Amino acid sequence: MSAREAILARVRKAAGGAEGREAAVAARLAGNGPHAPRPAQARSEGAARLELFEAKARAADATVARIATVADLPAALAAELRARNLPATVRTGADPLFVGLDWGAVERTEGVGRLEEPATLSRAEFGLAETGTLALASGPMNPVTLTFLGETHFVALPTADVMAGFEDFWAAWRARGLDPRTLNFVTGPSRSADIGQTLQLGAHGPVALHIFLIG
Amino acid sequence: MTAHQPTSRQFKKNVTAALANENLQRAMRSTQSGFVGKRAKARDALPEFDSLRDAARDLKNHTLAHLDLYLERYETEVKASGGHVHWAETAGDARRIVLDICRAAGAKTVNKGKTMISEEIGLNAHLEENGVRAVETDLGEYIIQLRGEAPSHIIAPAVHVTVPEVDALFRKTHAHLPADRDLSELPTMLAEARAVLRQKYFEADVGVTGANMLIAETGQSVIVTNEGNGDLSQSLPRVHIVLASIEKIVPTLEDAATVLRVLARSATGQEMSVYTTFSRGPRRAEDPDGPEEYHVVLLDNGRTGMLGTEFQDMLRCIRCGACMNHCPVYQAVGGHAYGWVYPGPMGAVLTPSLIGVEEGGQLPNASTFCGRCESVCPMRIPLPKMMRHWREREFEKHLAPAASRYGLRFWGFFAARPALYRRATGLAARALAALGRGRGRFAALPLAGGWTRSRDFPTPAPKTFMQQWKER
Repeated sequence: MSAREAILARVRKAAGGAEGREAAVAARLAGNGPHAPRPAQARSEGAARLELFEAKARAADATVARIATVADLPAALAAELRARNLPATVRTGADPLFVGLDWGAVERTEGVGRLEEPATLSRAEFGLAETGTLALASGPMNPVTLTFLGETHFVALPTADVMAGFEDFWAAWRARGLDPRTLNFVTGPSRSADIGQTLQLGAHGPVALHIFLIG
Repeated sequence: MTAHQPTSRQFKKNVTAALANENLQRAMRSTQSGFVGKRAKARDALPEFDSLRDAARDLKNHTLAHLDLYLERYETEVKASGGHVHWAETAGDARRIVLDICRAAGAKTVNKGKTMISEEIGLNAHLEENGVRAVETDLGEYIIQLRGEAPSHIIAPAVHVTVPEVDALFRKTHAHLPADRDLSELPTMLAEARAVLRQKYFEADVGVTGANMLIAETGQSVIVTNEGNGDLSQSLPRVHIVLASIEKIVPTLEDAATVLRVLARSATGQEMSVYTTFSRGPRRAEDPDGPEEYHVVLLDNGRTGMLGTEFQDMLRCIRCGACMNHCPVYQAVGGHAYGWVYPGPMGAVLTPSLIGVEEGGQLPNASTFCGRCESVCPMRIPLPKMMRHWREREFEKHLAPAASRYGLRFWGFFAARPALYRRATGLAARALAALGRGRGRFAALPLAGGWTRSRDFPTPAPKTFMQQWKER
């Protein structure tokens, strides 16, 4: 008997021969299982939702700026790079949001993350207001390595894509029909408390995370 | 390096050494308030927290009752995404599978995100013995790998190491850097480790990570980290191997969210950890990065033997570490005293289940039964009850030390004879009360040295409860 069969046989034996197991599992997988309670902080609407998203992202040590339209992104990014004493260059993927823009003084290069990457820019598919979390889909539009190798990671997020919490997020995610290799939830810049139990930002991933909320 | 053999049998000896270890005691004192206060704050900030714990418990119970069906669906989904699923009955099987994948990939170096299953199966030593270098990338795991140690906490593996020890370690290990460099600030130390490990991500041929969850509906594996090392370990090498035990399955994406809502809050007090990554299969044809091969090793190693027994509830554990953060015994002795991979209350239940009551049977005795572990467990696992079950088994198998066996038999003799018991305890209470009159406590008592060495023994009331009850 293969290891697979041996393990499954032991699990089946413990489960017993109860009737209706297949039906119970099929129902749950079809989304008809019991619903866990939906926290109040995952029910925000409208302007309050955007305020909550911003507040939660800041609480997780991200910084957030609102810009009116995507056309304002290059100038806003240039100002941020200057203020942070970073070179006027940024690494991005091929996201249509970035490709059509006039980047002016900022040198934008396209590709995956490299060993030294002072600034990277990604577009998030969604935001989750309940925790100030970004949801990014990996792929040619937004290579996953840009999310982790940028010393400073900039993320663009249209306000229309800010969801209240996991409940409406998963529904929207399924509706968009995406199937990336990774779905990356990001809540603030990387951190570690492994030396002396003292929390420090910038472990292996970005030292800083800056979100441009567009619209 | 060599594999860490279990030392749980000599738990008492380990404890004595831990209590006398000043460095360890200093490190443990500095962590005590942190985790507990942060969890309490996170719980208070979410009114639905306790009802989410109920939902998390229920969803895991449901999954365990139908684990075979969910495992089959999970496997189908992974295969559909182009990934491979390997089933491992034992730790040895899992080691062999991982080594075979590494050999097929021609791997010289393996980068590792944090995985407790890797510790459980002793992967690093096995790879090294076979000429494959394993590099831990979680900062805490990196530190203990350099020290040749096992983790002492499941989410804070280097919690027992002090800052001066890290300083000395980095100077010794990073010998290519100037010897007179200034490491006095913590951010400098972190930056140094970051720079050293950043290079290694690009050199590794294989990346190994654990999994916080496996999702049956989609075939995704989920990792939750704060550093980003697990993501670099799985995105840059050509091959990604996920090590996961079979009970990590949850049915759907919505179920995963329920677990996430209680996991980070219970562990570090964060609402969400920094990085939560859902991975499905290898990179797509159009993807510019990500691994070309995706393997999942599904480990049993004793877990199916827990199904249908009084220890099944333990399989709900999501490895948050809250039980050990709140355990007075763990806080006093640290994780290494437990002698194997899983310390604290969850380890006291899991260790005898996975490596046998002969080896781990002493651990369930390391509890005051104060119940804090159960009261903070996000999955509502009845840890004290299960420790009691192990104590019974240890006693039945005649594994308890002679002193406690004779002591219990002596007590049992009286307990089975109520009249005699009342007379004897009444006599003892009167004698002790008379001896201790005026003082209220004893600094030393014959046969009670184990108690009075670290605290006074209170003088009992002159009459027992039963005597007082009768006189009412």
